[in-house]
Amino acid sequence: MATLVYEERLERMWQPRPGVLGWVMTTDHKRIGLLYFWTTLVLFAAGGAEALAIRTQLIQPNEHVVGPATYDELFTLHGVTMIFFFIIPMTTGAFGNYLLPLMIGARDMAFPRLNALSYWVFLGSGLFIYTSLFLGMAPNAGWFDYVPLASAKFDPGHAIDFYCLGIIFNGVASSLTAANFIVTILKLRAPGMSFNRMPLFCFAFLAASWGLLFALPSLSADTIFLFLDRNVGTHFFDVAKGGSTLLWQHLFWIFGHPEVYILIVPAFGIATEIIPAFTQRRVVAFPLVAVAELLVVFIGFGVWAHHMFATGMPTVTVIFFAAATAVVVIPSTIQVFAWCMTFVTGNARFKTPLLFIAGFIFMFVAGGLTGIMFLAVPFDQQVTDTYFVVAHFHYIIFGAAVFPIFGGMYFWFPKVTGKLYFELPGQISFWIIFLGTNLLFFPMHIVGLEGMPRRNYTYPSGLGWGTDNLAETIGSYITTVGIVVLLVNLLVSYFRGPPAGPDPWHGATLEWTIPSPPPDYNFAVIPKVSSAYANWDEEDREEDRRKLAEGIMVLDEGHEQPVSSPVDGWWAEVAKMPHDSPWPILLALAMSIVFILLLLHLWMGTAFALAGIVLVLLGWHGEEPEEAEA
Amino acid sequence: MSGYVGELRRGGGPSVAFWGMAMLVASEATLFGTFIGSYYYLRFGTPHWPPTGTPEPRVVVPLILAGVLATTSLPMWLAARAVRRGGLWAARFLLVWALVVQVGYLVYEVHDYAHQLHRSVPQDNAYSSIYYTLLGADHVHVAVGIVLVVWLLWKLLGGLTTYRRRAVQVVAFYWHAVNVLTLIVIGVLLSATL
Repeated sequence: MATLVYEERLERMWQPRPGVLGWVMTTDHKRIGLLYFWTTLVLFAAGGAEALAIRTQLIQPNEHVVGPATYDELFTLHGVTMIFFFIIPMTTGAFGNYLLPLMIGARDMAFPRLNALSYWVFLGSGLFIYTSLFLGMAPNAGWFDYVPLASAKFDPGHAIDFYCLGIIFNGVASSLTAANFIVTILKLRAPGMSFNRMPLFCFAFLAASWGLLFALPSLSADTIFLFLDRNVGTHFFDVAKGGSTLLWQHLFWIFGHPEVYILIVPAFGIATEIIPAFTQRRVVAFPLVAVAELLVVFIGFGVWAHHMFATGMPTVTVIFFAAATAVVVIPSTIQVFAWCMTFVTGNARFKTPLLFIAGFIFMFVAGGLTGIMFLAVPFDQQVTDTYFVVAHFHYIIFGAAVFPIFGGMYFWFPKVTGKLYFELPGQISFWIIFLGTNLLFFPMHIVGLEGMPRRNYTYPSGLGWGTDNLAETIGSYITTVGIVVLLVNLLVSYFRGPPAGPDPWHGATLEWTIPSPPPDYNFAVIPKVSSAYANWDEEDREEDRRKLAEGIMVLDEGHEQPVSSPVDGWWAEVAKMPHDSPWPILLALAMSIVFILLLLHLWMGTAFALAGIVLVLLGWHGEEPEEAEA
Repeated sequence: MSGYVGELRRGGGPSVAFWGMAMLVASEATLFGTFIGSYYYLRFGTPHWPPTGTPEPRVVVPLILAGVLATTSLPMWLAARAVRRGGLWAARFLLVWALVVQVGYLVYEVHDYAHQLHRSVPQDNAYSSIYYTLLGADHVHVAVGIVLVVWLLWKLLGGLTTYRRRAVQVVAFYWHAVNVLTLIVIGVLLSATL
């Protein structure tokens, strides 16, 4: 049959190199997604181990498992790891990379080599930051790294330099990914997929990518200033010489608050895919949810100073930011109601992924309600720097970002591996994690209201905090057990699970129209799209099969990919995509050298390394796409 | 063999390459926005700006130079137009024209930067820190642009392809952005004399 001929032809053309080299040089978004997945999982384990060490230290009053200096390093690295090296790369790097091109009917990202570069840069930055731990110079001023505590005077040595450079380095990777997602979503959607036919998952990733692109420069500027202050002797944050310590906080939170939404909006995207699949119903109020996803990030740029209510800003500023923060409630609530109404009006099957999403909604609402409490400025000033804040943001970050990540891991496991996971251990893992996290984080509200301060390595006895802290520590162990059950379940399923077939959930989007695991070329026929729930449009899928038999829309004369107009999805041209390339990893290596030399103050060496980067870029751009046009 | 059904439409908006550059420009513009925001944040927290003892920036020469650099947007724009019509030699000529002015600008500015460092250094106070950082960051962007134009000229030695045509258009866009950025940065720095 002719169908097979086309598929074999595409397979020959798109298949990667065999062996390790095929992974090192890969530009395939699926392979890069998997690389991201495994790397972030290892870093998640590191961040989790730090969390367990923190909780073990706090298990009872006056405990001395670790000393105060180590404790500072632990909570700093825990925050940095979970935010920069787990959640962002897990949602954008792993889920986004793997799924986004599949959902828009593309064969790769808009810039495949840039995508590979972003992974290798991310890996370099992860190794860079964790080198500090092994050298005994781990960052120790909190993930927000406030000056003057983080200035050279109060924190000499290389710990904070590792932080500054590591954060800039990591920011490069995230910016590259964000830019790549935006252009991919705007230009590589299958012809006919106008914006209103794009899955909500993609809207969420579009929103998060815009957020990253515009938020990260502020953090980069901030860390550049701090690096200069510490290593060159400038005075950005030195009050005695006209600098300002609050400047650090402003710039940090101009990044830091959009960051919160950058963490959770992709998780919203995951939720908006899992809910339709397990309720067999289109998401209620699709346009409102799409706009709400974008609005959450947009408004998120105007609320940063609510992290600074206790810094003595003018009252009018404080009130403005309190009011602005209240506005975020609106798009958030729109989404919560839309999810709930989809549950209620659909036919919900509570399989493991949907359980995680239900848990996510519960945790998100709980964390959101404590978030609203911070708008009351006197209350905020009362609980600032207590465990109440810790409880709030862990409900949001663990509950609203990590729960959907776990749900998504179960949901797309059959797509990625071609195997089904085991349902009963899956549901058990959910309940263990759900109970564990609530036992871990809920008592923090209570001890926080009772005044227990954050970031102190221990607390005295006789204040009544012992029982709650013991419960939290037990909760952290239970949560760990649940995560281990989840991972073991997936691992065993990978080897022993029954075959999943292309579409075990009757999912809504395009990734379920192709075999599991997806072939190297993703789509044999560039799919026809007439709604955001393309897999449910039986006639279109029928038409795709007919086209494949006749060889229409196969695009098999090289690495071909249709390029569309940004809004309407009109087909504009056929682009030739790059294939495996050694340049991304070489460029990431050159950049790593630059950061290492900067850390060692070898300025001349840095200049040479920069020249090396230019050379690598020349090599990169020496590979030009073959063209018919002269 | 792989028949494209008749859905292909020309003119689907800017190319992927252009969008890529737009992302870079958006990101860099935000970085400069943050620098400029920091400049004014520090300024409004300081009674004397520049602080007493620190020399004020010169006004006339930097303004004229920024204006001269801005004129390179014309040859860059014309080069982007020329390649669209296949004008290889016109593009080469226009790029060389732009390059000469850009290199002249950067050489003078780097010389001037070194000269200014004799009178005040970034380690003096917060004003000097942000002044030299902002100006230096702008010079770096000019330098990157020059490398890009040299690379373009080298590529154009081998003739014109769609890839190179887009490269010219994209680099032209980068230069428009850098020129606007330079005017803004110079304007901000000179605002200290007001």
